[in-house]
Amino acid sequence: MEPDVRIVIAEDDPLLREGLALLLRAEGLDVVATAGTADEVLAAIDRHRPDVAILDVRMPPSHTDEGIRAAVEARRRRPDLAVLVLSAYVEQSFASELLAGGAGGLGYLLKERVGRVEEFLTALERVVDGGTAIDPEVVAQLFTRTRQDTRLERLSPRERDVLALMAEGLGNTAVAERLFVTEGAVHKHIRSIFGKLELSPADRVDRRVAAVLHYLEDARRRS
Amino acid sequence: MATHPRTDDDRKPDVPALALRSSKAAGTALRQLVGGVGTAIPAVGVLVLVVIAAVTSVVGVGLLLAPLVLAALHALAGRERRRLTRAGFEVLDPEPPPTRLRLAVADPVTRRELRWLVRHATLGLLLGLLGIWLPVSAVRDLAFPLYWRFFPQDTTATSLGFGVAHSWPEALAVTLLGIAWVAIIVGLTPGMARVQANPGRRLLAADPGTDLSLRIAELTATRAAALDAHAAELRRIERALHDGSQNRIVTVTVLLGAARRQVARDPSGAGEILERAQSAAEQALAELRSISRSILPPVLQDRGLAGALSGLAAESAVPCRIEVDAPERCAASVEATAYFVVAEALTNVAKHSGAGRVAVAVRARGGRLRLTVTDDGRGGADESGGSGITGIRRRLAAHDGTLRLASPPGGPTTLEVDLPSGT
Repeated sequence: MEPDVRIVIAEDDPLLREGLALLLRAEGLDVVATAGTADEVLAAIDRHRPDVAILDVRMPPSHTDEGIRAAVEARRRRPDLAVLVLSAYVEQSFASELLAGGAGGLGYLLKERVGRVEEFLTALERVVDGGTAIDPEVVAQLFTRTRQDTRLERLSPRERDVLALMAEGLGNTAVAERLFVTEGAVHKHIRSIFGKLELSPADRVDRRVAAVLHYLEDARRRS
Repeated sequence: MATHPRTDDDRKPDVPALALRSSKAAGTALRQLVGGVGTAIPAVGVLVLVVIAAVTSVVGVGLLLAPLVLAALHALAGRERRRLTRAGFEVLDPEPPPTRLRLAVADPVTRRELRWLVRHATLGLLLGLLGIWLPVSAVRDLAFPLYWRFFPQDTTATSLGFGVAHSWPEALAVTLLGIAWVAIIVGLTPGMARVQANPGRRLLAADPGTDLSLRIAELTATRAAALDAHAAELRRIERALHDGSQNRIVTVTVLLGAARRQVARDPSGAGEILERAQSAAEQALAELRSISRSILPPVLQDRGLAGALSGLAAESAVPCRIEVDAPERCAASVEATAYFVVAEALTNVAKHSGAGRVAVAVRARGGRLRLTVTDDGRGGADESGGSGITGIRRRLAAHDGTLRLASPPGGPTTLEVDLPSGT
């Protein structure tokens, strides 16, 4: 990861905030500011113009979804800002709210993933580069919640695996590596998924993102 | 099982405190007696109506009066039930009795109400009037030496209506009579109040055999309140786990991840990170301990209610005097409830009242646990304002307990709790 990536951290727990900053700085990343509330982090984003903001979901005053709302607001002000939301538990409805404005440069991970530093840095890099990083937990929730969806029913188990990894934000090569298949096979699966989800190549949006959003949206309607 | 010592600031017999308690009890009894007059006088009226209706029913007029008389009887009985419940003798409403004469004649509720009416209109009224007359006489006779010189000669001197004072020694003797009245008030009025309330408690209460349906409705409501209290408690625990211990443990994993990377780069720097990880893990343990203590304080188990409350008093930000009179051990859930009520009340006092002192009194006798928290703060506590009181009320309702909050502007604030001790 390029060392000159500028990061702002918002986390209301001071120990965890310092722990995160320590870890990222030790990796040579530039943590330009840390904040304990949504308002503080929005101000810090305005002032320091970071490349990426790492936000905790539950922050004062109400300890519910301040981080999600701060993420949406930050993206409204600066659409190019990469945002990685960390949470102690994942809630698929938060994910869909977060991704409603587009999935590029967005991440939503469980807090403890940070401890697996290599994977966390990969996910962070992907988000900074305009990609997506969705926690496997969210994707798993998605599949449990949408089991009655008829279009989902059409997918084969293998195609579901591929969609799950796509939702996590992995590219075709990475998906192939994880599933121990060739890239060609992954291509075939993805084409088949798009077909079954009725996403035509004429769609202007990234069909990969659209496939994920489709399910997030569907899951939100059901919940 | 441990004994239950009387916890008090000073172990010696405390004469002023005893006097204060007795005069408080007498004051409460007098208020009850006088309150009883408020239903006893209408009771005389209703009794007269009943007699008129009964006599005139021979010629038919009474039959027309009957529904009116019955409605008045039921209304008055309802008023007495609410009065007694307010005074701390819980009287459950029976099923609404019929107002049609033919049904009413056979209705046990109506018959019991009639028996109560006769007693309350006679003995109850007499006791109530005594409750007014006694303090008036006491004041009059006690103050006699202050004013007797200004009264015309041969005016009746004592409140008993005989004996006229002509000299100072005689006037002072009248004061002695006043002191006797005070002694009678302190000694007898609590008993008089009980005697006055007894017919109502016995005859107006729902018959335990016939009135299960209302009791079931009430139990359903309190059960719902219990579940609400339970849900609120779960939310509190979830919040404590999530924002406290879980974050600490996440910190541990983050720091361990950082330490592993550091070991790969330069092992010498890893020690400091591991040190921080360890201290975060220790904090997680401390927080878990405090959460489990908040679920059921082990101190209750170890030292009983008296010991646990003394601990709370010692930690209170406002100087707290605590008095526990609990020869009977209560059910664990009841003791835990009492503990939390006191903890919550003391927090409220410290936060909102601006009080300089607070007193907690707990009394567990006769199957009831009674708890009073009084502070000398600015008063004006509003139940709708904070959720603290609402939380206490819910928690109490789950145990069939009641709460009374008196907090006039300017203070003092008194919180009174009464719940079955569950034994």
